[in-house]
Amino acid sequence: MDVRQALEQFQVGRSEEAFCALFEYVYPRLRRYFMIRGMELLEAEDLAQNVMVLVYRHAGEVRDRELFLGWVFKAAKNELARYWRQRRTRDRIARMEPLSDELARTLVDESTSGRQADFMEWMSHLEASEREILILRYVEELSYEDLSLALGIPLGTVKWRLFNARKKLAPIINRTTPGAKRRIH
Amino acid sequence: MHDFSEREWAEYIDGIADEETRNRLEAHLFGCLSCWEFYDRMASTTEELRVAGDVLRRVHNAGDRALYNGLQRIFEKLGGEGAELAGSIQQRLGALTDVMAPMCGSQTALKALRAAAEDSPARSLDHLTEDNWAPFMKNLRSIATVVCGDTGAHLVWERGKLY
Repeated sequence: MDVRQALEQFQVGRSEEAFCALFEYVYPRLRRYFMIRGMELLEAEDLAQNVMVLVYRHAGEVRDRELFLGWVFKAAKNELARYWRQRRTRDRIARMEPLSDELARTLVDESTSGRQADFMEWMSHLEASEREILILRYVEELSYEDLSLALGIPLGTVKWRLFNARKKLAPIINRTTPGAKRRIH
Repeated sequence: MHDFSEREWAEYIDGIADEETRNRLEAHLFGCLSCWEFYDRMASTTEELRVAGDVLRRVHNAGDRALYNGLQRIFEKLGGEGAELAGSIQQRLGALTDVMAPMCGSQTALKALRAAAEDSPARSLDHLTEDNWAPFMKNLRSIATVVCGDTGAHLVWERGKLY
């Protein structure tokens, strides 16, 4: 069952199987999203679970199933904002969140740690809104339409913001990763 | 950048430019070194981000246990709302764990439950339902015979039938 079928089944029948299928698809993404945004593991899991509770309660409100992920990450973004407000660290949203201890502990495999460390270093050069869109695009692989819904911005702004974030990173990435492979369209 | 808008550049780099824009841009790239270098930098940046994203997805995938625990917590947060989904299956699994843990340890009990589910039509604990409960219990009874003995397996079977 793919996520759209699971969503449809859950919207219609609210079956356990359909919710579990949604959970299996969405929860790992949410958990990862919150960890990359600076949460410790338990905090990330707690926030991810809160968003899944919202999915359970409000899945019926999703009109366009093609944009379900956009709806989910919009909820995730709101959950993250609520969390920071509660923690009274509103100024952290404007700066790069430090690498969480959990994420740092995973940087042990030499074959992957370089890439992870590079990615976090690249993100440290960006504004919060630029980091957000690149994480959702390249880690969570959201489509432009999903990004538009998740971030509450028009499609044109999504493309513009992605383009400018990459333009900003280009001198940094190309300095730190010489001879990088690329695809030519 | 030489009569091409940022939108056109963005769409070309992402491979979604319309045919007219693509042809115009590619014709221009053949003869303009500065634009070619710009495209080269942007394309390699995009590729590096894509590769890094692949790594992060691979490294930060939740394992079975994290998924199972997460699902349990969600049903706890839902409380009565999730009862029609969670109550009987989660309660049953909890009861089976309670029966097995004193005999073989909680880690072995969890592994036994997981193995019984994986070998059944449910394929995982998360997909257990009323309909596939029976084959799961048959598997669990076989596993419990090995790890808990015949008496323990009988207790597990009887507890699994109670709901």
